[in-house]
Amino acid sequence: MTNATTTFDTTLADLRDRALAALAVADDPEAMAAWERAYLGAKGELTGLLRGLGALSAAERPGAGRAANAVKQELTAAFAARNEAVASVSLEAQLAADAIDVTLPGRAPILGAEHPVTRMVAELGEIFALMGFQTVYGPEVETGHYNFDLLNIPSDHPARDVWDTMIVQSEREEIVLRTHTSPMQARTMEQTEPPVRVIVPGRAYRYEAQDASHEWMFHQLEGLAVDERITLADLKGVLTELARQLFGPQRKVRFRCDFFPFVEPGVDFAVDCAICGGGGCRVCKQTGWLEMGGAGMVHPRVLRGVGYDPDRYTGFAFGLGIERMIMMKYGVDDVRAFAGNDLRFLRRMARLAA
Amino acid sequence: MRVPIKWLRDYVDPRLAPEELAHRLTMAGLEAEKTERTGAGWDHVYVGFVHDVRPHPNADRLVLADVSAGEHRLTVVTGAPNVAAGQKVAIALAGARLWDTHSETPQLKTLKPGMLRGVKSEGMVCSEKELGLSDEHEGILVLDPGAPEGVPLADWLGDTVVEFEITPNLVHAFSVRGIAREAAAVTGQPLDEPPRFDLDAAPPGAGDLVRIDAPDLCPRYAAVVIEGITVAPSPDWLARRLTAAGLRPINNVVDVTNYVMLELGQPLHAFDRANLRGGRIVVRRAGNDEPIETLDHQQRRLDGEMLVIADAERAVAVAGVMGGVDSEVSAATTTVLLESANFGMASVRRTARLLKLRTDASARFERGLDPNLASDAAARATHLLLDLCPGSRVTAARDVYPSPVVPWAVRFPFSRFERVVGIAYPPEQVVSVLERLGFGVALPGGAGGDVIVTVPTHRTDVTIAEDVIEEVARIVGYEGLPDTLPAGRTPPVFRDPIALLQRRVRAALVGAGCYEAITYVSVSESMLAPFDSIGDRRGLVLDAPAADLLRLVNPMPGDRPILRPTLIPSLLERVAENLKHAPSVRLCELARVYLPTEPDALPREANVAAITLSGRREPLSRFAADPLPLDFFDVKGVVDAALAAAGAPEVEYRPFTHGALHPGRAAEACVGQTRVGVLGELHPRVAAGFGIENGRVAVAELDLDALLALGGDRSPVEVRVPKFLPVSQDFAVVVAKQTPAAEVERALRQAAGPLLTDLALFDVFAGEQIGDDKKSLTFRLTFASPDRALTDAELTKTRGKIEKTLAQRVGGSLRG
Ligand SMILES: [Zn+2]
Repeated sequence: MTNATTTFDTTLADLRDRALAALAVADDPEAMAAWERAYLGAKGELTGLLRGLGALSAAERPGAGRAANAVKQELTAAFAARNEAVASVSLEAQLAADAIDVTLPGRAPILGAEHPVTRMVAELGEIFALMGFQTVYGPEVETGHYNFDLLNIPSDHPARDVWDTMIVQSEREEIVLRTHTSPMQARTMEQTEPPVRVIVPGRAYRYEAQDASHEWMFHQLEGLAVDERITLADLKGVLTELARQLFGPQRKVRFRCDFFPFVEPGVDFAVDCAICGGGGCRVCKQTGWLEMGGAGMVHPRVLRGVGYDPDRYTGFAFGLGIERMIMMKYGVDDVRAFAGNDLRFLRRMARLAA
Repeated sequence: MRVPIKWLRDYVDPRLAPEELAHRLTMAGLEAEKTERTGAGWDHVYVGFVHDVRPHPNADRLVLADVSAGEHRLTVVTGAPNVAAGQKVAIALAGARLWDTHSETPQLKTLKPGMLRGVKSEGMVCSEKELGLSDEHEGILVLDPGAPEGVPLADWLGDTVVEFEITPNLVHAFSVRGIAREAAAVTGQPLDEPPRFDLDAAPPGAGDLVRIDAPDLCPRYAAVVIEGITVAPSPDWLARRLTAAGLRPINNVVDVTNYVMLELGQPLHAFDRANLRGGRIVVRRAGNDEPIETLDHQQRRLDGEMLVIADAERAVAVAGVMGGVDSEVSAATTTVLLESANFGMASVRRTARLLKLRTDASARFERGLDPNLASDAAARATHLLLDLCPGSRVTAARDVYPSPVVPWAVRFPFSRFERVVGIAYPPEQVVSVLERLGFGVALPGGAGGDVIVTVPTHRTDVTIAEDVIEEVARIVGYEGLPDTLPAGRTPPVFRDPIALLQRRVRAALVGAGCYEAITYVSVSESMLAPFDSIGDRRGLVLDAPAADLLRLVNPMPGDRPILRPTLIPSLLERVAENLKHAPSVRLCELARVYLPTEPDALPREANVAAITLSGRREPLSRFAADPLPLDFFDVKGVVDAALAAAGAPEVEYRPFTHGALHPGRAAEACVGQTRVGVLGELHPRVAAGFGIENGRVAVAELDLDALLALGGDRSPVEVRVPKFLPVSQDFAVVVAKQTPAAEVERALRQAAGPLLTDLALFDVFAGEQIGDDKKSLTFRLTFASPDRALTDAELTKTRGKIEKTLAQRVGGSLRG
């Protein structure tokens, strides 16, 4: 061992001890960077010391070089470990400074919503599509021929007075705003051969004074099925399915004899009130039943009128009031809200029906 | 129709509480709309007997009456002028709740004993008004002498009245007997018949007593002449039943005709025979303009198709509608001619309509009455009149009925019950139900053969198998009907293309913040007036000549007669209404507009979508300090989203002029030569007309039918999932100020070629640095290739091409 190597070893050991001592007190990213520059950087002490290896003899150089590299590795590793610890403390401090009041309101996206009638029509369309019913649409401005005559409501019959018709000016033919979606029964059957399974959603109009439960413009959904063996029991089955999909799996459908000229037998149908379970409440007017609409077996005269053979084919038809269904499902108390389009109502309904 | 249950019980004892009977009938098709109980509140009111009436010691107008009611004996003070010893009266004891006759509004008051001019009154003898029976308060209610003293008044006078809705098919149930027949069928109880006079035994009278000149409109006319009539008020029981059923008692003769009409469903009319010239009846068509003064004291002019009852000289009644004043029964009448006839339903309906005269009689004839009912009703009314007028007698009875209607048969396979209803009813059940309803039934081949049903003539509504099937189904009831699902073939289900398009567009509009509205289809002249375009047309994206627009004959009050050619005016009303409480309103509607095709034909119902935006763009929040108003570019953005959802290719916006829109802020959206939409800010004057005074209203209307015709091709194309990173470059293009941005964009797209995947204009700048007549538009273009990473050389080449094209096409240069 020469003098020179002894001096080198001493210097190296001293450097290592100082460096580690300095590292132990560096506690922020700036101090860490300064330390790195001072000891490991291109102009740092250790680099300088390594450069001094050239002054040693060839025999001494390998040993001294190994010792210097070992110190470099040790310092580098110590720096990395210390650096990670310092960075993590620093990030935590930064995140702490970044904290917010999470109860402040968020940036609201601008949201719209479909009209409740559209939603109900879509829901009914899905339910009936699952039962094989196609959705079709018909004209809102109709001839008396389709709106009445083909539905077994002749012009000299008092049955025609039941519909308070809104009449369109016309010199020749009788033109009306359709009083129901039923004209599409005849239009559909004229265009196709059985089997027929369609629903017809759409607007309908009656000359009626407006109040909380009457509106001159409203929406109906007509249903029609014609085939070789369609029965009234099938009608009840389809309507029961509808009631259960819409109001819950336990619902029951009740038929009551009623008169509509285009069906025979004719019924109106009600669903037991899901709100009170049949015990009576405001929505069902204390009856325990919600009246949904009219229905029945397609009148043979209607079938014959469109060229179907009533001895071969039978069919059922039904009509639902869309606004009525929404009012019953959600307890809406004024039908005028639907054409009122008050944003407060539309928003409330969008949330309810979501 | 109001049916007093006590009256119904003359025919059938249903052995059910009235409410339960009403429910059973409702389920069977005779809907009970409401049930009223008279006498429900008559606690402490009894049938009393007046023993003595004495003067009041201190008052001339008051008397003291000693009344007993079972164990109660009391003295009451009353001012009733008609109280007399020996009467049966309604006596109220302390605690009774009576209607206050001194109060303006109806209210009940509890009776307390009190001093009246120094004499204690222990109760009260009641008037009809105090009992809530009628408005009669002139004197007290005097009961029938047979009323049993001491029983609660409710037991003697109380009743339940059920009000039934009579649908047009229910002519056979438009009477107390008809409803009794239904009740008998539903409950299985026997049906009784009331007493009648045997008209066959009466003298036939002169051969010309009745002549029918219009047998097509009058199948039958029965007349009964009764002499020795004394016209007087009806007895209690009759007046009370009429009142309960909703008719006002008039005199015994008129009341009997009304009573029998309610009871049997056959309208009757009584003429004072002394005022029938020639003493006879001619049934004929009216002369043109023939005058008659009807019982309501209206002078009426008839036409040659109206049927009248005439005497030898003039019309004395409008057949089936209303009698005339000239032959009206009065106090002086001693001989009546009672009419019980059948008139054709269409004729009565026409006459009642033209004269605007709906009566209880016409309402019945219009539904088609059974001609066989006429003799029944004549016999019943005669019995009652003879009963009410002792000493009167029938001097002639004539029945002209040239072609009597006989029961008809309906024959069909028994198996049809199951085919229609889905239930195999036992044959015995079918027979039993039909017989209870008055049908004859034969099943010669049993359940495997035909059923032959003989229909009674009053069931004019039963003519085919399904009618009979319903009779059985409704009386058996629908509770036992199973629920099955239709078996057999399911037709193919298609989705309607316009409905699909509407769904996509609606989703885009809702996604863009719009609430969907549904507004009325008709508008007023003034709402539509601003939406005018060249050639006096009305509309927005679609329009039609103002003069040809469809109009309602009977619009709802508020006069909105026009079927709309645009949705915007109706939506604007909703915007104005909502702006009263909402800081911003975004509404859309997808509906039809009505475009005339040719005169008197159905219109084209075109599908459009409309958007209206007004108010502040962002909701009040800590993020939006500056409440910018919604404007043209908001609606344009919404339109872009909707058109993209509709699959519209290459939409081009061009400046547009329309009377309702801001002259400098309106555009049409076109695909090629087809206009698919119009958008713009509303002209401030038009907005003000809708009550929107301050602020902009941005509107748009899209032609969905046109979009469907244009786009629509949704057949598969090759979609390659991106694998290489895109490269973006910014281009600041300096062009003349008036150059539309769309032209610059078109030039950029053309030059950039197929590698361009995205283009966004993100800055518009004008300033001295680039010259006063110039503007700078900065676009970010994004390039990518599906199969390789782009090289710098390619991009440099593209940049060069863009620079050249801009210079050539829009005189533009790249800045910076
Ligand atoms: Zn309920």
